[in-house]
Amino acid sequence: MDLDFSKEDQQFREQARDWLQDSVPKDLRPHHGDAMRDYDKEWQKTQFEAGWAGVSWPVEFGGLGLGLTQQLIWYEEYARAHAPDNHLCFVGLNHAGPTIMACGDEAQKTAHLRGILTGEEIWCQGFSEPNAGSDLASLKTKAHVEGDELVITGSKMWTSHGHLADKQELLVRTDTDAPKHKGISWVIFDMKTAGVELRPIEIMTAPNLPHFVQCFYDEARIPLCNVVGGLNNGWSVAMSTLGFERGTAQIKDQIRYAFLVEQMIERARKRFGGANLQNDEIGSRLAQLRAEMAAARAMTYMVVSRAKAGLQGSESSLMRAMVGDVQQRVRRLAMDIIGPEALENPEDDDWVYFYLRTFSTTIAAGTAQIQRNIIGERVLGLPR
Amino acid sequence: MNLLPSPEQQQIVDTLKAFLSEKAPVSRLREHGALGNPDQALWQELGQLGFLGLGLSEDSGGVGLTSADEALVYREFGRHLISVSVFGATLGAHIAAYSGDQGVLSSLLSGTTTVGVGNLFSDAHLHQEGCSGEFHWFEAREAQFVLLLDESGAALIATEDCADRRKVNATDASLALERATLRNVKPRCWIGSEAAQIHTRALLLTAAYATGMAEATRDMAVEYAKDREQFGKPIGSFQAVKHMCADMAIRTEAAQSQTFFASLVFAENRDDLALQVVSSKIVAVDTALKNAAVNIQVHGAYGFTAEADAHHYLKRAHVTDQLWGDLRTQRIRLLSLSPTAQ
Repeated sequence: MDLDFSKEDQQFREQARDWLQDSVPKDLRPHHGDAMRDYDKEWQKTQFEAGWAGVSWPVEFGGLGLGLTQQLIWYEEYARAHAPDNHLCFVGLNHAGPTIMACGDEAQKTAHLRGILTGEEIWCQGFSEPNAGSDLASLKTKAHVEGDELVITGSKMWTSHGHLADKQELLVRTDTDAPKHKGISWVIFDMKTAGVELRPIEIMTAPNLPHFVQCFYDEARIPLCNVVGGLNNGWSVAMSTLGFERGTAQIKDQIRYAFLVEQMIERARKRFGGANLQNDEIGSRLAQLRAEMAAARAMTYMVVSRAKAGLQGSESSLMRAMVGDVQQRVRRLAMDIIGPEALENPEDDDWVYFYLRTFSTTIAAGTAQIQRNIIGERVLGLPR
Repeated sequence: MNLLPSPEQQQIVDTLKAFLSEKAPVSRLREHGALGNPDQALWQELGQLGFLGLGLSEDSGGVGLTSADEALVYREFGRHLISVSVFGATLGAHIAAYSGDQGVLSSLLSGTTTVGVGNLFSDAHLHQEGCSGEFHWFEAREAQFVLLLDESGAALIATEDCADRRKVNATDASLALERATLRNVKPRCWIGSEAAQIHTRALLLTAAYATGMAEATRDMAVEYAKDREQFGKPIGSFQAVKHMCADMAIRTEAAQSQTFFASLVFAENRDDLALQVVSSKIVAVDTALKNAAVNIQVHGAYGFTAEADAHHYLKRAHVTDQLWGDLRTQRIRLLSLSPTAQ
């Protein structure tokens, strides 16, 4: 047990801090649409040109190829500098890119990895379906081989930013006779392919502005060479990169939320008076969340410590489950501290939007309930 | 940066685990009831093994390890519900060492002299010239000293210097409890709060102890859920039960991570020491209380009996909550601390 960082690590921290201080975009990140996409692409390009993109990507694919400790340092500094997350690049950098690295062929690597890293190529995910959510492996979107093409028919659901993306990582059923985990393929889908139609889906934060799309594929044809990792091998391809970042990136959220709690304490002191907070329900919740945010950060260090020791398994789901819950409680408490003003939704609102957004933290990427199944079965060894 | 115990630390933990599994299985509390401190026999052996002076320098007769090692050891004490008198031994040794009382120190380190734990019951005043107020005394009947501490400092009071004591029935019946009223009793040893960060150390060790309890109740519930069958299946296969166990595991991971982290911050005496340690006590005690309650529920009617060990963990969790300030007190304290740049 130690909190030590080597001299090289300290130097790395200073370099990262200096660069971020000078380079983080000054403008707030737009919440929607082309403006958001342009903002994210620009910020990714800035990081790429300065050599900071792909901190956890291997050097041979244009990344920095840094170890877990340095990744952690980078993300700590990233959060401290209040650098924005470029969510549009998330799927490419954290899912599709690593999957292609791990399972793709040379042509696929050459065609996509650089574009993902520079921010030129935006990816979205095509996994969930109207009838395949938590039970993902029951997906029904079909694809059959015709010559050197794959012909896709079906529908995908809850594709974040699908209307803003260039490519999609898509799971399709290529063998309907095989057991449900066996007949799936992971394919690269170009969003401009003929035969695909997008239906925008608004989310609860913003009327008239779509976040998700539902994708309809009507005999959409893609080259067979877009299959990654072999036909009918898609389930293990999709699982191969789960936990690619091994929890290091999560430290950004822990630091941001800890900072948020401090802002909320200030705001509550102003509204209620510091002395009044002491025996107050809001004061008690603030203190509890301050303690739990400290714990969330320590949990992230624990995840990284396990990963460094090669022990990482399903235990990282403990941290994820805890953080999803705490983030919701922090944002909920912010509403109570703001009081009646929370009923207003001004242009520069910084609170209500994010409160509403946190409802996704216990749904996206495995619901809180699915995570508890995983914890129960894989961490604690309880029977299915 | 590494929150996992080193191989050397793991060796210490394994030694203690083996010792406690043999000498102090939790079932001992079942047989003992309210008959006094069943752990009185452990102190000398723990002393010989070095566990009572783990965090003291070798010059002082200790083992020369850090608060991180102490925390690892206290986690095992909590898991086995070792008498809270152990806090008296460890913290008492720190007090004796810093106040330079070699005689008291060596008798504490060997486990021949035992120390009860005093907890402020109502308004109290601790001072090197005299301590006053009303206290709960745990495990003081066979002890020569009682430990008192708050944010101003820490004292060892000779039990013989206090005449005004009366036995009360304890909610946690495996601990001997008294109410004692002190009127300007001069401590035999005294240190100010700066020395050895004694108050913060007490909070940290309580957090570690509570973490061990939380782990124990999680493990008890999980084992029972795998074993107990209803509707022809282990109850742990039902999501209603499985998710209760998962929630215990999530909370416990938070408590353990924060306590380990705080113990390292303590060892480095960082600026955010108080913030991290108070956070660890809040999260760990909250977890110990919640897990103890859920453990009873998972055990069903059996969990409600005196025969099951589950109730011991619940009652002891309430003791750890009260020790050196309950959740409400700690939350008020945490809210008053200024943020640091860490």
